[in-house]
Amino acid sequence: MFSTELVVQTFISGTMIGVLYALMALGITFIYSIMRMINWAMGEFYMIGSYLQYALVALLLGPDLWWLAIPISAAGVFLFGLVVQWSLLKPIFRKPPEARDDYATVVTLALLLLLRSLATGLAGPNQFSPGSDLPVVMVGPLPMAGARVAAFVFALVALVLFYLLLRYSWYGLALRATSQSRVGVQTAGIDVLGVDRIAFGIGVALAGLAGALLAPVFLVYPTNGLITTVKGFEIVVIGGLGSIPGALIAGVLLGLIESFGAAFIDSAYQNIYGFALVLLILALKPTGLLGERGREA
Amino acid sequence: MSAPLLAVDDIHAAYQSGVDILQGMSLAVPVGGFVLVIGPNGAGKSTLLKTVFGLLSPHRGGISFDGRAIAGLAPHEIKRLGVSYVPQELNTFPHLTVEENLRVGGWTIRNDAARLRARIARVYEIFPVLAERRRDKAGGLSGGQGRMLSVAREMITEPRLMLVDEPTVGLAPNLAEQVYELLQTARQSIPTTILLVDQNVSDALRHAEDVVMMNLGRVKAAGPVVEFGEARVRELIQECLLG
Ligand SMILES: Nc1ncnc2c1ncn2[C@@H]1O[C@H](COP(=O)(O)OP(=O)(O)OP(=O)(O)O)[C@@H](O)[C@H]1O
Ligand SMILES: [Mg+2]
Repeated sequence: MFSTELVVQTFISGTMIGVLYALMALGITFIYSIMRMINWAMGEFYMIGSYLQYALVALLLGPDLWWLAIPISAAGVFLFGLVVQWSLLKPIFRKPPEARDDYATVVTLALLLLLRSLATGLAGPNQFSPGSDLPVVMVGPLPMAGARVAAFVFALVALVLFYLLLRYSWYGLALRATSQSRVGVQTAGIDVLGVDRIAFGIGVALAGLAGALLAPVFLVYPTNGLITTVKGFEIVVIGGLGSIPGALIAGVLLGLIESFGAAFIDSAYQNIYGFALVLLILALKPTGLLGERGREA
Repeated sequence: MSAPLLAVDDIHAAYQSGVDILQGMSLAVPVGGFVLVIGPNGAGKSTLLKTVFGLLSPHRGGISFDGRAIAGLAPHEIKRLGVSYVPQELNTFPHLTVEENLRVGGWTIRNDAARLRARIARVYEIFPVLAERRRDKAGGLSGGQGRMLSVAREMITEPRLMLVDEPTVGLAPNLAEQVYELLQTARQSIPTTILLVDQNVSDALRHAEDVVMMNLGRVKAAGPVVEFGEARVRELIQECLLG
């Protein structure tokens, strides 16, 4: 019953979906590490990414150019993120930090409702699927859906680019510095609100990318970001808020637990296994696997 | 006397509206000068420096740097004009290496790689310890070395004015003396002008040219150090404390 083949296949598919969940978690944690706020509308940026992907493939580029639609969708969400930071968040962050994260919570929750209603208003409650004419791919001896493999590869490329940006560019240095001291970067002459803007754009673009990549798998509709966002937050709790390696490790861990739970226990409870892991972590190490400190009140 | 490099004119500033911490504060710092600001805890000394650097904006009064009104500008804009600020708290990035810390300090000249390299090399010459530890994380430095890095980081841009807040707090006396010498070095080598806030009155007075005594957000007394003498300064502090 527990054939090696099934174990290997479960492992591979768990890792693949885990990396996509990790994109979401990375976006949440990255924005938090720079701005010290939670973006509750993360799922709606995922949703916008998926709609953009669908619209580009269905109306403009055609299914053959799906791979070109992916970076365009992510870039579109990035630009939208810049606008949101500039118009809704920057005015809060210009003031002294009193109750700043409370305002940010209210603003992003309002944005969540607005964007969902807007999606329903514009495209209706229907589900769309950009379809995927990608063939089934053999990973070793195992057949895998082409769309999932492609999503995994794209996600890996995005993670590598993200790492290179942080590690080797001037902007990456500014981002890393800002996550350690906002006053420190200001004394260095860095426009900290400009750093926020880029960080917010990148963070939501990661969600948008996940939305575009998962559009053929989880479909496109106004609340499609919900499940992935919940998983993103679960990963953040497991990995530790503000920890980038934590997000990656916990993302893969969550993907694995879900797949193994679904394959060997019961697939009906797929969304519960991760939650059990969250409870376990909260009981054993409340700051998460790689989280260093609790959140300052 | 020629026009001052920094002129603070009757500023009022608050963290929460209605509670003014600075209540009509004024001072002038001459080009090349070394002005010391002293006063009891909570007098508003740190708030004064934060306000000059743009972290807080005054709701009344004016600040001019080199003849230009700067009140209301953002910190990064003020930095670009040639002002550096060394905060009271340790101002390093603990998870970046010493060298990365210095590179962040050189943000405004990052597009001139040769100049940045030369400036960092110069800082290493002045602080050989930092050169030795260039690849170590700043979080692992000792208190004194961390202070050094905080000040050195703000010297990279060769600012025309350095705002320095209590750089010797918690340092052993010999280290404290090193920090004052370091400020003198910056003053002569860059050369720059210094506005120093300090509680370590007797040591700081030996290095400063002018002293401003602050209490309750405004000036209590001010003048050249030679006219004050430490005894007189201590008397003034006593008076402030007694109200
Ligand atoms: N971020 C802040 N928010 C609200 N009030 C503040 C803040 N920072 C300082 N204050 C208040 O402003 C007043 C002046 O503080 P400031 O730090 O300027 O004093 P100081 O003269 O530098 O004192 P010290 O010698 O202790 O450093 C104090 O009453 C302090 O409680
Ligand atoms: Mg102070």
